[in-house]
Amino acid sequence: MNGFLIVNGLSGLLIVSSLLVTLAGNPANSARFYALQSFILVMLFVALAGATGSGELYLWSFTALLTKVILVPAIMYRTFRRLSDPAIGSGAVMPTALSIVGAAVAVILCFGVASKVTLPAADAIKPALAVSLALFFIGLGCIVAQRNILKQVFGYCLMENGSHLTLALLAPNAPELVEIGIATDAIFAVVVMAALGSRIFDTLHTLDARQLTSLKG
Amino acid sequence: MTAMVPSILPPLLLIGPLAVAVFLLTLPWFRESLPETLASDQDSVALLERIHLGSIAYVFLLSAAALVQVLSNGAIAAFGDWLFVDALGAVFMMLIGVVGLLTGLYSIAYIRHDLESGAIDAGKVRVYYGFFSLFLFTMLLAVTANNIIMMWAAIEATTLGSAFLVGLYGQKSSLEAAWKYVVICTVGVAFGLYGTVLVFSNAADVLADPHQAVLWTALVGHAGELDPMLVKLAFVFALIGFGTKAGIFPMHAWLPDAHSEAPSPVSGLLSGVLLKCALLIVIRFYVITVGTVGVGFPQTLLLTLGLLSVGVSSLLFFVQQDLKRKLAYSSIENVGLIVVALGIGGPLGIAAALLHAINHSVTKALFFCTAGNVLMKYGTRDLRAVKGVLRAAPATGLLMMACALALAGFPPFNIFVSEFMVFMAGLNEGYAWIMALVALFLCITIAGLVKIVADSVLGKSPETMAKGDVGWKALAPLGVLAVLVLTLGFAVPQPLSNLVQQATAVVMNGDSRPVVATPWQHYDTVRAGGLLVTGNLSQTEISK
Repeated sequence: MNGFLIVNGLSGLLIVSSLLVTLAGNPANSARFYALQSFILVMLFVALAGATGSGELYLWSFTALLTKVILVPAIMYRTFRRLSDPAIGSGAVMPTALSIVGAAVAVILCFGVASKVTLPAADAIKPALAVSLALFFIGLGCIVAQRNILKQVFGYCLMENGSHLTLALLAPNAPELVEIGIATDAIFAVVVMAALGSRIFDTLHTLDARQLTSLKG
Repeated sequence: MTAMVPSILPPLLLIGPLAVAVFLLTLPWFRESLPETLASDQDSVALLERIHLGSIAYVFLLSAAALVQVLSNGAIAAFGDWLFVDALGAVFMMLIGVVGLLTGLYSIAYIRHDLESGAIDAGKVRVYYGFFSLFLFTMLLAVTANNIIMMWAAIEATTLGSAFLVGLYGQKSSLEAAWKYVVICTVGVAFGLYGTVLVFSNAADVLADPHQAVLWTALVGHAGELDPMLVKLAFVFALIGFGTKAGIFPMHAWLPDAHSEAPSPVSGLLSGVLLKCALLIVIRFYVITVGTVGVGFPQTLLLTLGLLSVGVSSLLFFVQQDLKRKLAYSSIENVGLIVVALGIGGPLGIAAALLHAINHSVTKALFFCTAGNVLMKYGTRDLRAVKGVLRAAPATGLLMMACALALAGFPPFNIFVSEFMVFMAGLNEGYAWIMALVALFLCITIAGLVKIVADSVLGKSPETMAKGDVGWKALAPLGVLAVLVLTLGFAVPQPLSNLVQQATAVVMNGDSRPVVATPWQHYDTVRAGGLLVTGNLSQTEISK
């Protein structure tokens, strides 16, 4: 059961890295931390592949390495580096301490939910399962509690990493094409959001979501 | 589940619009070869229009062919059952074919007007037609997907495909609308992904072959073996996720912005077709959930969210002064009504939901395009400035009046027929109070629509406004839509009623055949329909 211990241990690091992504001072740094988080996720996939003997998961780790550790962060880093809006600072709408407490509450609640899952596949990896769900909600929190539209993109990436981890944990033998579908979609989503974000910056000279309020009612 | 007939049609249907989109969007030669003189500029735009016409005609013809095949042979499938069209999917595929064709035809006149008025340049015309085909492709993929992960990916792709259409004009408001659209829908649909992952992982544990666990048809067949707790959780996630895309309250925040800022034909397509495609995915998850935990849990959720959508949007509809925002809120209301009908359930409730989806689709596409004519003529969507359309542009005024009356649910227009069915289903299933509330909310909408007719369609047109309608190219596709709105109000044609019955059978996972007809069509059968709903009899039992 050593393999599962590593899986559960690595999942704890995912929470730490997701906080780094959320709390980073600017979008370019968030991109670096996102690459770090994805790298931890890839390690986790490899550990899980070893523990479950799933050949598909090794393939997943490889695609995830290509897309999430290299491609997506590179796209975001290159695009976001030239866009900066000093007026909004880090863009966080609540204090750092409160964000950390919020994440902790999310993790505790998700442990409660995960403990109720009766699926046999989930027995050994319940902590990791709870983390995957928590990661999803931390991502949601990152979007809701962010004024910087570029950092909202990372919120989506965290949500997507959370879903991806749940899938790997509960269905390690899922066909490789399923995983490729999810990864490709995420790349397109990030590209479209980055392109739109850049156009908004070029046209309106702001990255502040609170400035985008001309449509109401 | 009966075996599906292998067919080449689903992949053929998809490949046409995808090829056109890739061709128009990725080939840099077109951008570079765009000439500078106006004469040849028009040549390039004419070439783009011909390619676009080819694409929409292709989608229309292929979807018609697939529809005929489904009606005669049952569900068709391809690529190891990853793609399939059953009667349920065929309803929505037909909407993409018909409404895509007519809004696509209308686009020609509309985009030309935008080009001439300087709102967009020739490069944007290429972007518009490219993304139009891409948008059609992504919606077709969503309705032909049997693989639930692909269903999710396709719904996500509809957002990405249509975001640039929403932000086409590049102004502050349109960029803002596009951003909200992308962020809210992508995040919403991420919930859909989580729900999809939960169902799939659960099934992968139950079914021997994980490759089967990804197919909707296999999931429906084994729904009884899934874990009830996980399926309930998955349904909530799927309802939030795909419900965001369908515009269900309270996840509707993107909808009024995107619908009002997009070019009018795209608004028609978003409201008429995209919302329905997302609803189809909700229905697909509903079928699995019913198979695992029974009707109680999903129906309660659907009734609650549907009623809230109808209530909130009717009030917001009434107070809006922007014509297209008003129509957007009306879309939320009608989606709410469809969701209420699904929540009522039973064969008649499901059939009413599907028929209302079809009726609302053509009516709202017509209304948004008519609003496009008003925008071309008046240069504004503000109803305080749009007065006397009937005098200024008689054909557009007449269409607008027909749309308003149709949307208000007056006979002999189509919306009346399906709303009547929803109420009949609701009363028969014992939801009198809910139906009374829905009726109350619909009255608020009727008041708002009558106000549009009284103030904007009739009224006195501005002194400076030149008389004369928009060109025939803008009016002809709307004429066809208007004929559909009226025809479907007089009688539900036999093939359509067959299709809705078969689709209902897919949702009910059995062979219940409700009567799908106007109240005055086969009066006796409709009375028998009352029996049918209360007693849940099949058509054969009635004919005895």
